[in-house]
Amino acid sequence: MAERPRVYKTEGIILRRRNLGEADSIFTVLSAHEGKFDAIAKGVRKTRSRMRGHLEPLTRSRLLLARGRSLDVFTQAETVAPYRAIRDDLERSATAIYCAELADRFTIEHAENPGLYELLLAALEALDGGSPPGAVARYFELHLLSLMGYELQLDACAACRGRLEPVETLLSANAGGLVCERCRAKAGAGRLLGVRAMKVLRYARNVDIGAFGEVRLDQALAKELEGAMAEVISHFLEREPRARRFLEIVAALPGRENALAPGIVESEQGP
Amino acid sequence: MADVAGSTPEPIARLIEEFHRLPGIGPKSAQRLAYHILRVPEREALALAEAIGDVKRRIVLCSTCLNITEADPCLLCQDPRRDRTMVCVVEQPLDILAIERAGSYRGAYHVLHGLLNPMDGIGPEDLHLRELVERVRGGEVVEIIMATNPSLEGEATAMYVQRLLGPAGVRVTRLARGLPSGADLEYADDVTLARALEGRQEI
Repeated sequence: MAERPRVYKTEGIILRRRNLGEADSIFTVLSAHEGKFDAIAKGVRKTRSRMRGHLEPLTRSRLLLARGRSLDVFTQAETVAPYRAIRDDLERSATAIYCAELADRFTIEHAENPGLYELLLAALEALDGGSPPGAVARYFELHLLSLMGYELQLDACAACRGRLEPVETLLSANAGGLVCERCRAKAGAGRLLGVRAMKVLRYARNVDIGAFGEVRLDQALAKELEGAMAEVISHFLEREPRARRFLEIVAALPGRENALAPGIVESEQGP
Repeated sequence: MADVAGSTPEPIARLIEEFHRLPGIGPKSAQRLAYHILRVPEREALALAEAIGDVKRRIVLCSTCLNITEADPCLLCQDPRRDRTMVCVVEQPLDILAIERAGSYRGAYHVLHGLLNPMDGIGPEDLHLRELVERVRGGEVVEIIMATNPSLEGEATAMYVQRLLGPAGVRVTRLARGLPSGADLEYADDVTLARALEGRQEI
């Protein structure tokens, strides 16, 4: 093995924190070139730590790390983007935490994945910039699956490659996408999607996150997509993401005085 | 600790195991502590055992503020000089000590015993939020001061409480966030600096 430099620089998004001992924390970082990794920040829980605010979860930071025996150690950290609008809003925080959890759970350590880093970055930028949280979450789920090698087949039947009619169609994670009526019986579990929901998914696949955030989804359609994608995500993850329950709890709260932009996906007036 | 089991008498091995469970105690420290206990006079060792027993037997949670206490309601809740219209919400009992040490707060407290942490699956029902809602329903409380940490989890908890109790007509406030005394401006993060600027005050 070639000798590696003792310190290295990277830029990443802090996904999560776990406390260690009296004043240290272990942070999980997603970076473009180092992939996902854990590293220790010594003394970061002390008030006077110089790195404290720069290593908050859901912050994009420039990092300097020293190679450690088992875990690398943060030596410097500087915020690139703090995403304040996310932090100041419960729906946006909950959605960002959900995306970060998916990015964490779908990846293994030290596997380079610049596409995933770009995707999470785009999702955080969109949430921070006022895109509807529901739309960001759906976009993130769909593109995350593609990046992880589980791209959903949305244009033809995932089982027989036959044409899909513009009627209610089964979305089956097991089959790997939309399944035509003839193949439905053997495709296994899934959710029936209406024609509008199918169109929204295809659109999400083809445009950037900013453009997708402009789409107006009524409450029924947003719920339909949320439920269908939740099932697909749980299938590939082989478990329920923990942050999903929090999203549901937040959605059930009364009032949204803090909402930045009028919720389009979660419009309270309904369709 | 398999190596210990063979060569060490069972009671010592058991004590080492027990120490090893404590936070921050590795196998070597656990061994050192166990052999220390073996050497000290019996009276001293039993005093430790008794202190541990007392903590578990005599300490309960205050039925009003959920602080740890020997008498229910706790001394802070019994104190007639404290302002019961103000409730300062904290994560853990140690936070009350910190605020009391600062000495400028004369209201009541409420301990949540945790913060919302969606990634670890800690939700509202894992915290003592129901009791807080009950207190607010009681009608005496005018202001809730959220004194949770300015971290992602602390902020999420504060916003959640605001959304939960705001509609009930109670004023929900948040501790100011800014620069700690003795800090270096140069190393302050963007969020802290922005908030310090927003919360600036005339000298």
